[in-house]
Amino acid sequence: MNAWLIGATVLVLGLVPCAVVMLRGSVVEALVGLQMAGVLQTIVLLLLAEGFHRPPFFDLALVLALLALAGGLVFARMLERWV
Amino acid sequence: MSAASIVEVVLIGFGVAVELACCVGVLVMEDAYDKLHYLGPAAIVGPFAIAVAVVVREALSQAGIKALLTAALLIVASPVLSHATARALYIRQRDHVESTSRRPG
Repeated sequence: MNAWLIGATVLVLGLVPCAVVMLRGSVVEALVGLQMAGVLQTIVLLLLAEGFHRPPFFDLALVLALLALAGGLVFARMLERWV
Repeated sequence: MSAASIVEVVLIGFGVAVELACCVGVLVMEDAYDKLHYLGPAAIVGPFAIAVAVVVREALSQAGIKALLTAALLIVASPVLSHATARALYIRQRDHVESTSRRPG
């Protein structure tokens, strides 16, 4: 186990506060928690790709960052208008 | 342990520490506006530190460029998302105030 994998494992623990915010907060606070979780997961994928020496896995982090942006914008627009 | 390895470990530790601190900030703050402030460092400082650590190890290879690209995407996306979320919250609060002030009575 190298420093990259240890960092990824520690960062996964950061999802717990995000989950607490999503479960206990208002809908907008839940959106903030979701965005934070998206950033965390992107970094975890970066660390795992480097930790396992698999350069193609960096594509997963890149795609997740892109999809988190799109998903966050859609949720924000939806909260603004309908929910 | 080479100097590059030490720099990698320091950058990884710094990035992870920033992310965890921002997670605690999102959890502890009471208002959604306050929570939004902690998305900034989490999406800018942390990914940049991790991407630089990847570049220190892999140089500007395929992995290094993809890591930098991912960090750049997060850095660009974070202000956009924060603005959209704050705008949604503001509009929801404004509509709530207007609907309660229009209530007869």
